[in-house]
Amino acid sequence: MRKFILKRLIQLVPLLIGVSLISFFVMHLAPGDPTSLFTDPNIDPVELARIRANWGLDKPVILQYFYWLGNVLRGDFGNSYMTGQPVLHEILQRLPNTLLLMISSYFLTLLITIPLGVISAVRKGTWFDNLVTVLSFIGMATPSFWLGLMLMLLFAVELDWLPAVGMYDVLSGSHGPIATVFDVFRHMILPLTTMTILSLAGITRYQRAAMLEVLDQDYIRTARAKGLPERIVIYKHALRNALIPIVTILGLSLPGLFGGAFIIETIFAWPGMGRLGVLAIFQRNYPLIMGIVVFSAVLIMLGNLLADIGYALVDPRIRYAKK
Amino acid sequence: MNNLRRKLLVLSLLVMFLAGCSGQSHRAVKSVKLPDPSQADQNGRLVLSLAGEVSILNPILSTDTTSSAVEGTIFTGLITFNENLEPVPDLATSWSVSKDGKVWTFKLRRDVKWHDGVPFTADDVVFTFNSILDPKVNSVRRGDYIIDGRPIVFKAVDKYTVKAVLPKPFAPFLTRSGMSIIPKHILKGKDINTAAFNRKPIGTGPFKFKEWVTGDYLTVVRNPGYYLGKPRLAEIIYKIIPDENATLVALEAGEIDSAGIPPKDYKRMKSMAGVNVFEYDNLVYTYLGFNLGNPKFKDKRVRQALAYATDKKQLVSLLFKGLASPAYAPSAPISWAYTNEVAKYHYDPAKAKALLKEAGAQDLEFTILTNQGNKEREKAAVILQQQFKKVGVKVNVRVMEWSALLKIVNAPTGPKDFDAVLMGWSLGLDPDAYSIWHSSQYPKGFNFIDYHNPEVDRLLEKGRLTMDKEKRKQVYAKLWQIIASDQPYLFLWYPKSVVGVSERVGGLSKPSPAGLMLHLEKVFVTK
Repeated sequence: MRKFILKRLIQLVPLLIGVSLISFFVMHLAPGDPTSLFTDPNIDPVELARIRANWGLDKPVILQYFYWLGNVLRGDFGNSYMTGQPVLHEILQRLPNTLLLMISSYFLTLLITIPLGVISAVRKGTWFDNLVTVLSFIGMATPSFWLGLMLMLLFAVELDWLPAVGMYDVLSGSHGPIATVFDVFRHMILPLTTMTILSLAGITRYQRAAMLEVLDQDYIRTARAKGLPERIVIYKHALRNALIPIVTILGLSLPGLFGGAFIIETIFAWPGMGRLGVLAIFQRNYPLIMGIVVFSAVLIMLGNLLADIGYALVDPRIRYAKK
Repeated sequence: MNNLRRKLLVLSLLVMFLAGCSGQSHRAVKSVKLPDPSQADQNGRLVLSLAGEVSILNPILSTDTTSSAVEGTIFTGLITFNENLEPVPDLATSWSVSKDGKVWTFKLRRDVKWHDGVPFTADDVVFTFNSILDPKVNSVRRGDYIIDGRPIVFKAVDKYTVKAVLPKPFAPFLTRSGMSIIPKHILKGKDINTAAFNRKPIGTGPFKFKEWVTGDYLTVVRNPGYYLGKPRLAEIIYKIIPDENATLVALEAGEIDSAGIPPKDYKRMKSMAGVNVFEYDNLVYTYLGFNLGNPKFKDKRVRQALAYATDKKQLVSLLFKGLASPAYAPSAPISWAYTNEVAKYHYDPAKAKALLKEAGAQDLEFTILTNQGNKEREKAAVILQQQFKKVGVKVNVRVMEWSALLKIVNAPTGPKDFDAVLMGWSLGLDPDAYSIWHSSQYPKGFNFIDYHNPEVDRLLEKGRLTMDKEKRKQVYAKLWQIIASDQPYLFLWYPKSVVGVSERVGGLSKPSPAGLMLHLEKVFVTK
């Protein structure tokens, strides 16, 4: 197992170089450059050319890539064109906010969807199952910006229970760590609810399908034939096996966790990675785009590795050979 | 069957719940209600919203309006502009220009201190302009202080006098001298592009920088030693809310004190309790620019015909519900250099058809390019398509991402590969429009439609050399008349700015393109 992990970690290096090389060229293929946003009759185009040269953008793309790679190997991801701040600093400022929201939503989703999926599968065709199915389709069809605004109008304007936007109450100021945690929690409720409602549908359907498949297996029939109580059949024999696909989803959702939810972050003015990434692309802020690409590539690869290790733990049929 | 009925019931309940959420009670339109200054809160905090992220707090580097909005509270310049957009003293008490128009002298205030207590002097002014002129500093403003390839020379005559020596007379310089001043004692010898100062600025303005939580909010606090008087507000908090609708919800919920209002929400916000709505004109116009290097638009009669075919009143009322006005010239009505005496080509489809026939362009077909993300422009292109169809002109609309569009119009060599573009210009306070209309600004430059008229070139040059305001006004009036007659652009509209401000905010200035909080030190909030 240790050898397997080590091998996978070593494989990361060429993979990362490949990812960064392709991203770098694709990024430069997009029309425009960081000075495109400065189009203003009062700005002399000569000055824009000078600034591009200061950033090294007048050099051939392949050279630019090697400069960039050389700096990254020395731990320097460069500075954002727009803010002049180190890229790493910009990313690390946003990442915790995104992770807080995304991971909370993820666990909340699992907490709701697994029981829902299981019950729907066990009671297939009943009114409960149908209700869950209808709600799932409504959830999938609801645009997030609309749901977000509706929740905001209801809870922040009409009822005035919760704050509408942001992460902190800017007027209360800081009153120590406990008050701050409570403050962030209050601000999280609406974006978290919106995200969770919208992601319920998918995983509920997954869980329901996985459970239905397992319930059809011979060993379940055997368990029932043995005369085991239905509760034990469902929760011990069936559920454990039906959870294996969820591990796959866990691995696959890691990029989403890192990337943030752009629309939710925009509507609720949540200072996360999604907004930073989209802005970076819009501004053609090359160093920041590359920083985000490399960061997310590493996280995705580690996520896949974790999922593979997770398989070995939950599924006794999977063993990573020593050869 | 039973199942289906249950499902329908659940669905209809859900629809009713959601519809209920958005239900609006009917409220009457009300007039502006300003608070009583005697009720001002000495510890008052004003919460404003910003639509974009603040990128950098250094006025010589920033290029976005969001950063500029915050910088406006922290920094000040030699001169500033009043509600009527006229230059007035700020850090400079007075200024004069030599007879030959080349030497400008600014006398500075002696009572100004930087936020860290260090006195402000002429050295700071010289340092600021020299930093902008430094090619290594990534300032887009550098070109403002270079005339015919030669930089303006700034000199400190004594501690409180600055001289600017221009290579030749240049009237727009006065407006450009309003650039915010940065402190020499902090930035000298540093790499200005990446200095820590840019996130923790020190200025001479009414508010001091306090805190910046990236992507979320930014706080500035009262500068009690501000040279125009102690500000009445204790703090201003800028909250970053990228979404337009969420910004309005935050205003309704009382989380922010002010928000820009899009035309679609104008009626609703106008009748909302607790909010005053102000409207003002801006130095902005939207146009359809014809590529004159393209044979389709070489004939002036074709451009005039399209102007006659445009029902600008209908366009403006469909798009803005009255919150914009039709445009006829490349200047804005609130500019001192504007003239109303220009050819207007009022809507006349019969005349349009006749002119097209005369020019042999009955079968004209062309493509309008415009940028994605600007809903008004996208809709305007479609409305123009319909209007032109009535005179037999076929229009295709192509909406492109901003950078992709710029790649076409900013192509470094002519002829450029487009028919017409629907875009807008935001004008400076000075009427100089050399970069847009002078023939030297093609193909590299903003005269990307390849307009050249020797008389226009001459007037643009004369406008820059003429120091007397009345004489300059005549130069520009003539200029706008010629351009309007030529119709290289079909001028479309001037949008209005509409701003909602909480009724607890007072001390506002007369609504103008300079905003409502021109005298920031006088703004207050009630308890």
